[in-house]
Amino acid sequence: MHIPDGYISPATCAVTYAIAVPLWYVGFKKLKEKLNENTLPILAALSALSFIIMMFNIPVPGGTSAHAVGAVAISILFGPWVGFVAVSLVLLIQAIIFGDGGISAWAINSLAMGFVGSFVGYYVFNALKKYKFAPFIAGYVGIVASAVVIGVILGVQPMFWSVNGEPEYFPFGLSVSLPAMIGVHLLIGIAEGILTQIVYNLVDEKMKKEVAI
Amino acid sequence: MKKKLFILLGVLIALVPLGLLTDAPAWGEWDSEYFKKVLGYIPQGIEILGDKFSFKVLFPDYSLPGSSDIVGYYLSAIVGALLIFVIYYLIFLAVKRKES
Repeated sequence: MHIPDGYISPATCAVTYAIAVPLWYVGFKKLKEKLNENTLPILAALSALSFIIMMFNIPVPGGTSAHAVGAVAISILFGPWVGFVAVSLVLLIQAIIFGDGGISAWAINSLAMGFVGSFVGYYVFNALKKYKFAPFIAGYVGIVASAVVIGVILGVQPMFWSVNGEPEYFPFGLSVSLPAMIGVHLLIGIAEGILTQIVYNLVDEKMKKEVAI
Repeated sequence: MKKKLFILLGVLIALVPLGLLTDAPAWGEWDSEYFKKVLGYIPQGIEILGDKFSFKVLFPDYSLPGSSDIVGYYLSAIVGALLIFVIYYLIFLAVKRKES
C-alpha cells in the first residue's frame, strides 16, 4: 500500500501534505499527552509491531502481494490520533531508511494507512465493543478503508494528468485501481483482523486503562 | 502484560524471513520496468519524479547490499524496531524536560 515517488502528481502531493500537516500537529500533541513511563514501552512495542508486520508480504492471487499494517491495534488502545501518528512515524522510517514508499507520498500514505485506518477501525470497534470479535472486525474494516483511499488516489491520476495522450503518473484508472486494491485487502484484512485481535487480547484490563487515559 | 507484547514482537522478528517467501510485488508498487512491459512506455512523471526523489537509502528494500537476503531482512527488522524505540524515548525525554 506504499505509494512510491512519481506515482502521484506534485499537485496531489501538495494537497495531501496540506491536509496531513495540521492533522499531524494535532495528533502529535495527543501523543505527547499520552506518553509516560508506563505507556512508552507499550506504544513503542506496538509501533515496532506495525513496522515488522508490514515486512510480512503475503502473496495474493493475481501475482501480487500485500501486508497487514497494525494501525487499528494501536488506535483501539491509544485512540485514533495516536494510531495515526504512530503509523506515520513508521512510514517515515520506511521511506527514509528502507526506500519503501515515497517521500513525496509520505502524506498520502500516512493519511490512508494511518489516519483513515485508525479512525475507521476505532469507530467500528466502539460500535461493536460488546462483541468478542470487535477487534478483528475493526482491523478488517480499517485496512480495507485504507486500501480504498489508496485506490482512489492512484485511480484519479490518469483522469487529470497526461502528456501527449499518455498518462503522466499512475496510468490505471479507478475501474482498475479500486477493485485491485479492495480485492487484495479483502484478503489481507483477515491478517490485520487477526493481528488486532491478538494484540487486544494480550493487553490486560489494567494496561488498557493506563493507555486509554 | 507488557511482557507478552514483547514476546509477540520477538517472535515476529524471529519469523520475519517468512516475508521473503513471495517475490511478487505489491499491487501499485512496481519497478519502472513493469510499466515498460505492460504499457510499452514508462509514464513520464513516474520516470522523472521517481528519479528526482531517488536517493541512496541504508537498506534498499529491506536488504543490505553485499549480504544475503535473510541477513539483510533480519538486520532491517532489528534496526527499524530499535529506531522506533529510540525515537519514542527521545520524544518522551523532550516531554519530560518541558514539564519539569
